[in-house]
Order: sequence, then structure tokens, then C-alpha cells
Amino acid sequence: MDHQGHSQNPSMGVVGSGAQLAYGSNPYQPGQITGPPGSVVTSVGTIQSTPAGAQLGQHQLAYQHIHQQQQHQLQQQLQQFWSNQYQEIEKVTDFKNHSLPLARIKKIMKADEDVRMISAEAPVIFARACEMFILELTLRSWNHTEENKRRTLQKNDIAAAITRTDIFDFLVDIVPREDLKDEVLASIPRGTMPVAGPADALPYCYMPPQHASQVGAAGVIMGKPVMDPNMYAQQSHPYMAPQMWPQPPDQRQSSPEH
Amino acid sequence: MSEAEELPRSIMRRVVKYKLSRCSEDGEISVSKDGLLAFSESGRIFIHYLSATANDICKESKRQIINVENVFKALEETEFPEFVCPLKASLEEFRKKNARKKVVVSKGKEDEPKKKRKLEGESSDKGEGSEKGEDNDKGEDSDKGVSGDDQ
Repeated sequence: MDHQGHSQNPSMGVVGSGAQLAYGSNPYQPGQITGPPGSVVTSVGTIQSTPAGAQLGQHQLAYQHIHQQQQHQLQQQLQQFWSNQYQEIEKVTDFKNHSLPLARIKKIMKADEDVRMISAEAPVIFARACEMFILELTLRSWNHTEENKRRTLQKNDIAAAITRTDIFDFLVDIVPREDLKDEVLASIPRGTMPVAGPADALPYCYMPPQHASQVGAAGVIMGKPVMDPNMYAQQSHPYMAPQMWPQPPDQRQSSPEH
Repeated sequence: MSEAEELPRSIMRRVVKYKLSRCSEDGEISVSKDGLLAFSESGRIFIHYLSATANDICKESKRQIINVENVFKALEETEFPEFVCPLKASLEEFRKKNARKKVVVSKGKEDEPKKKRKLEGESSDKGEGSEKGEDNDKGEDSDKGVSGDDQ
């Protein structure tokens, strides 16, 4: 009884490795041949009968050999599995799934009375196009946020993106006029545009007859009506203001927003 | 503008945050409430603008239904030609998904009469007056791919 227990096929006793085999793999090695009790299978495949004393040692060797083979096979399968997994993961690039509701898009389209009938595929395209448009607008708005060294994207960043980009001209209505003016002024570099005060603050200038005749009686210079040139004909040296364009006062730099 | 015409803010936030997370590596950028509202409004106006342009193109070609080709032409006309290629790809994907769905639905419809027959057979064997097997399925409107004036 004890003798028979030892003569069992060694692979039958391997619980740990046998249970971990991948699906579809053969747990038995192709070169493995089982013999009658009291015999050991060599690597060549011939059955040799041996005395019971030496049988134990050979059993252990055979067991270790098979165990190593199985472990090696498992390792290979595991590596292959993970390499396949990595390849699949690398193929997937688009993880997002946030499509806009098609019914809502259809409602927005139908708000225009001219739009009569829409094909089933059109709202799908509109949803995707709108998403891409928002992504584009976000990127351009973020550039402005970054320029101002802020961490919060605000409405004025969107206003800046709209004013800077020609293709977003159709969106000017959603940006308040004040924001637009600020953005336009901010986008123009300093010193290129002369900054003048109100019309009343400018000096009154007399024009010589030859210049005044070109303007005509109904002309306006610096916000003032041009008088009849004959009135000032006797003045040989007309008075001209020494400084027509007063320099703007030094603009103090506003502290950056947080 | 009614609430029904607004684009859902939750989705808008998700789209914007997704882009911002890819733009900035160092930490998360937040979006202000009025900024989010501006994005939502921009999306709505974009849809209006694009649909109006597509509708004009559709009328020029003397057709009543705005189809995908009109939308692609409208995108080129409104100076968004870079959107066309990815949109065509997503349209192909949508068509493939639809084809798969149709196959599944048609298989289901083929199986239904067999089930009905079985159920009818069982009820006749029992000799019951009430016909349990028959389903009161009202014929659903077939999706012709065109939505008319449902205002």
C-alpha cells in the first residue's frame, strides 16, 4: 500500500502549479510516459525497473524536472498574456465618452424656423462637431489663462479667444461689449495708437487760407466748426498749438490676477 | 432662451475639464461658473450657425432634408475644414454600430414568431379560452432616418 502510494505519477501530486495553468494549455508534457508501479520514467522515455531504495530519489528528481518545466511554461504564458494586454492598451487612445444628447441638438436645430427636416445621422455629426469645437475653444481660452498666470479659466479668457481668432467671429454676441473692448485694447501693443483726450481739451487751431479752402465751410477740425477762412486771411502767421498730440500719462501696470 | 435649448452643463464641464487636464501637466485648472455658461452658449450658437449654413446648402441643392454631406460642406464653408476628417471617421463608426444593432434586432424579430407559435400551441393543448401566447405589440413607427416637423 505504501509502495503503491510512492509509485504514483509525480505530476498528479502537483496541486499548486496544476491549478494555475492557463485555459487551453495541456497540463501533461508530451514526452512524459507513465510506467507500471515500481518503475521510473527517464527523459528518453524508456521504462527502467529499479530497487525501491533508489526509486525515491529518482522520483524527486523527475518531480522537480516536471515542476520546473511547468513553471517555465506558465511564466512564458504569463509574459505572452501581458504583452498582448499592453498592446491592446496602447491601441486604445480615446477613453472619453461624453457625447452631447441628440434630442437636445435636434431641438436647437429646430429652433430655426427655416430648418425643416434633418436626417438621422446629422445630429450625430453635430454632436461630435460641437464637442470638437468646444475642445478647440477651450484650448485657445486656456492659452490666455496661462498668459495671465492664472489657474482658473474665466469668461474673459473665452472672450480673448473669440476676439483673437477670426473663425470665432460668429460668437461676438455672447461676449459683452466691455470685455470685447478690453480684449481689443489689450491685444494692440502700446505706443502704436495715439491716445488723445476729449475734443474740448485739444487746442484750437487757426488754419491758413490755402488749407482752409480745401476743407470748405461745413468742415469740422478737432470737433470745432471751421469758420469762414476770409476772417483769418489777414493773419500771416497762424497760431498753431506747440503740441498737437499730448503724450499719454504713464500707465501703471495692474497687479496680476490670482 | 429656454432651458430646453441649453446644452447640458455637466457634459460641457466634462469636455472642458478633459481638454484642460491634457493641456496642463502641473495640477488641475478650474473653470468658473460664468466661463462654463459661456462655453455652453458658444456650443449652442455653433449648432445654430452650422445648421443654418447646412440648411442654405441644402436649399441650394433643391432638397428638403439636411443630410451629412450638407453638414460637411457647411463645415468647410464656416472655416472648420479640419473637423471633416475626424467627423467622417466617427460617422463610419456610428454606421457600423447601427448595422450591428440592426442585425441583432432582425434576429430577435425572426425568433418572435417561433415563440408565439409555441405559446399558442401550449394554450390550445390546455384548452384555455384566453390566448396567453399572443402579445399585444403595437407596430412601432419604423425609423426612416428622417425627423419631420415635430414642433
